[in-house]
Parts: sequence; structure tokens; C-alpha cells
Amino acid sequence: MSQSALLKPALYAEQGTEKVPDHPALNGGKCACGHVFFPMQTYGCEVCGRHGDALQPVRLSGRGKLVASATVHMHAARAPAPNAEVKPHEAPFTIGSIALEDGPTVRTVLVGVDEKTLKPGQTMVATLVPVGTGAKAIVDLRFTPAT
Amino acid sequence: MAKTLKDLRSVYVVGVGWHRYQPLSDTPYVMLGLPAIRAALADAGIAWTDVESSYIGTGLLGMAAGRAMLKHLGATGRPLVHIENASASGSAAFRHACIEVGAGIADVSLVIGVDKPGVVQRAFTKTGIGNLADDAIVPFTHFALLTNEYAHRHGVAPQDVALVAVKNHRNGALNPHAHRQQARTLEEVLGGRPVSGTLTTLQCCPVGEGAAAVIIASEDAIKRLGIDPARAVRVTASAASSEAAGGQAGADAAITKDTIAAALQQAQVAPKTVDIVELHDAFTIEELHYVEAMGICKPGEAIHLLKEGAFDIGGQCAVSPSGGLIAMGHPIGPTGVGQIGEIALQLRGDAGPRQHKGAKTGLAHMVGLGAVCYVHVLQRP
Repeated sequence: MSQSALLKPALYAEQGTEKVPDHPALNGGKCACGHVFFPMQTYGCEVCGRHGDALQPVRLSGRGKLVASATVHMHAARAPAPNAEVKPHEAPFTIGSIALEDGPTVRTVLVGVDEKTLKPGQTMVATLVPVGTGAKAIVDLRFTPAT
Repeated sequence: MAKTLKDLRSVYVVGVGWHRYQPLSDTPYVMLGLPAIRAALADAGIAWTDVESSYIGTGLLGMAAGRAMLKHLGATGRPLVHIENASASGSAAFRHACIEVGAGIADVSLVIGVDKPGVVQRAFTKTGIGNLADDAIVPFTHFALLTNEYAHRHGVAPQDVALVAVKNHRNGALNPHAHRQQARTLEEVLGGRPVSGTLTTLQCCPVGEGAAAVIIASEDAIKRLGIDPARAVRVTASAASSEAAGGQAGADAAITKDTIAAALQQAQVAPKTVDIVELHDAFTIEELHYVEAMGICKPGEAIHLLKEGAFDIGGQCAVSPSGGLIAMGHPIGPTGVGQIGEIALQLRGDAGPRQHKGAKTGLAHMVGLGAVCYVHVLQRP
């Protein structure tokens, strides 16, 4: 895995947190006011408006509870993949809304799921999956049910 | 202290007009907008030269659509402004026209919503802040996720949610301005192409082209221009808001709840006394969310009222008698203006086969990407 390039290194890291070491962490942020958000940015806090150094990076563990899921059956062909080296999303795929243990709720693609058995409230974990189209190994973040 | 629309001088809707909402065609936007405006002027019984300002709600046409269209009515040299607020563009245009007339800066204003489908890059993709998979999560998947959450929380089956579409297609079949004018059975709705989650195509609004126009006027203008006061419908509340921090996935329903409450308080109307609601049912689940947020019933109970026919034309409260976004359609700029037009027709008793008898109070609700929310209350004495 360490030979692979992260598709979106600004958003997540291969290394997990101390609490959840076996799953990639998400690159969130925390404001001086206490608000925890994803992804990290320094433009300004949505709750209090502090900006710049008041917003500090915080690693969010790659584990949370499933809030909702939906399998997408129609996906516009024109929706661009981030770049030509990356496989586009091809329907059907399943999207999940996950409330992270560390606060924010994120939405992304789920892997290794059977739509019929997915239940809101079940524990989901982050995982990196290959998304490259060519020889270059590229991985992107997905969520999958915890085993 | 800041004022509400109700504190300003009275504002009335005195004319309404449409160009049918329809799939994308070769018709230039100018020839969608002009027929709607001419119909609204004729409905009001006034001339274009009586209109003192124009508000153009449009999301997809591009910059400066207004004068190139309005000049064909005779270029009067009067002010015009374009308002873009995503799905709520037309509702925002209506609000600001009402504020101008209410404030006394104009006596008669035009609100015209006009649009054609076009590719406009959404600005939130240009903030410079990344996202995990937003390219895979379009609006119908946002609402498919909310459907999944609602269904689990309240033990509601997908075929129950689809009943919203059956009602709204039935209403749209009676509306000559609607994009979809065909009644559908539950089997047809459920048997359509799956889109996302349990949503099927007939549970998602069509985004086509069209136009809707309303003329608003002050009491002074109604007297001066000889407009029939019996056909004037007063705008008794206008409220607007945007998503506050921490709203997460339920933001649309949260801002709907607060904004409808503010509008009803302004109009001094109780939720259960509203006769007609035109709401943002771009996807079936939204109608359930928003009637509950409005306070017509408790969370999870909307489906029972829907099954009892409470939201039918002739029921306790006719919800989206126009057909709503699902059947009337959602051409973006026109949508919010068309809601106001439908409510004006209903309150005047001019809605023909869609008439909800005895309607005195109507509420129009839109949300737009962002999220933003607009609510207006219209009443006749």
C-alpha cells in the first residue's frame, strides 16, 4: 500500500489515529471555539467566524456510524473523474452518510456492502481502494462495514 | 427595529401568466418569457407602460438576460434586475419586488421567472476546498439518503413515499402549464427507472424550460389603474433564511421549519388553517419533510394524512395543487414565481378543475442549493 499514491492527500492519510490505528484517518480541523470540521481549511469557522491560526489540523479517526445509504442507479456520463488516470464512478454504486466518531458527518462511496443488509447505526470504517486506470497505483478513500 | 413585509404598505398580486413548462426545445428564452409577461399584463388588465420595475429570476441563462427580452414590450427605460438564488431564484425575485412596492419605491412591478436548461458550473465546486466524492453525489442522491433515513426512522415503506408522486401527477394532469400532464398509478411510479436509493424517475422533478410571470401592485395603483380589487390577492408575509452552522444533512427541513414559522407569525396564521401549500417537492420525500416541518402534523405522520387524502385538492390542505415540482416541473427561475401564480388563481377561484374550494390562505415555499429558503403567504379577505 505504501507504494500507492493517495488520490486526495489533502483529505486523508494512510496512517490511522491512535484510537483507530488500522484505518486511514481523515484530515479535519478544529477551531479555537471547539467546532470540529472536515475537511481542514483556514478560511474561517462556520460556527464563530474565527480564521487563520485559530483553525488547526486535527486527525479524525476513520470510524463512524452509518446514518443512511443509497445505491445510485443513474449516473451522468458527463460527470468527470478527477483525472484520466482515475476510474470514473460507474453505476450502480452505493453512497453512505457516516457520522464520524470524532464529530463531522461525511458522505462518500461505500465498498463491500450488500444494500439489503445495510442498517443505519452500524459501524463503518475507512479503507483505501485502488482507483487507477493504468500502471500507476492510485488509492482513494471509501467506507466499508466494520468486521 | 427592523420591519417585515406586513409592516409596509399592502402589496397585491394582480396578474399571473405562464409559458408552459416543457422539455428543452429550440424556442429562445425570449419567446418563453414574453408570452408569460403578456398573459400576466392581460390578466391584470394593465399595459406594459404601467410597470415601473422588473425583477428577473433566472439561474441558467447567463448574464444580462433581461433587457434583451423586455425591450420587445417597448423599452420604457425603467429599472430591471436579475436575481439568481439557485432553485429559489424566482421566489427571491418575488420577495424583492414585494419589498420595493411595499416600501413605496414602485407602485407596480413585474416578476418574471424564465429559464432554459444549460450547463452552469456550481460555485461551491470552486471554493478551493476539496471533498471526498461530491462528483458522485448529485441532488437526487442527497434526497435518496434522506429518504433512507426517514424510512428507517419512521418505519415508512418506499411505496408509501411514492404516493406523493401519485397525488402530484394527478394534480399536474389538470394543469395546462405543467411539464408532466399525465396521471400515474402507484405501479407506474414504482415501476419507472430506478434513479437513486428507492427514488424512481417519476418521483424526481423534470428540469425543463418555461416561464412564469406575476404583476404586483400597491393599493394606490389598483385604484389608479382601475384593477378589479376582487381579483387582487394580498401578500401577507415574506420570510427568507439560509442554512445555519451545524445543520448537517437535515438543513433543508430545518430552515423550512424556521422560515415557515416566521412567515406564519408575520401573517398571523396557524399552520392548520392554511388551505393551500405549494412546496419544493423536487423529490417525493421532501413533501413529507416539509409538511411536517410546517407543523401540519407531527414527524412521521405525514404519510398517514397523505393516505387519508388530507393533502388532495378538496382535502384538509391541498399540497401542490399545481402538480408541484414533480409534475408541474422545475425549470429553476420560473418555479417560485409559478407557485405564487397558482396560489393567486386558487384564491381567486380561477383554478378550474384544480380548484380547492373556498381557499383563503395559501403558502409558497422554496428551498435552493446552499441552502436557502423562501416562504410567502397570500390571502384573500
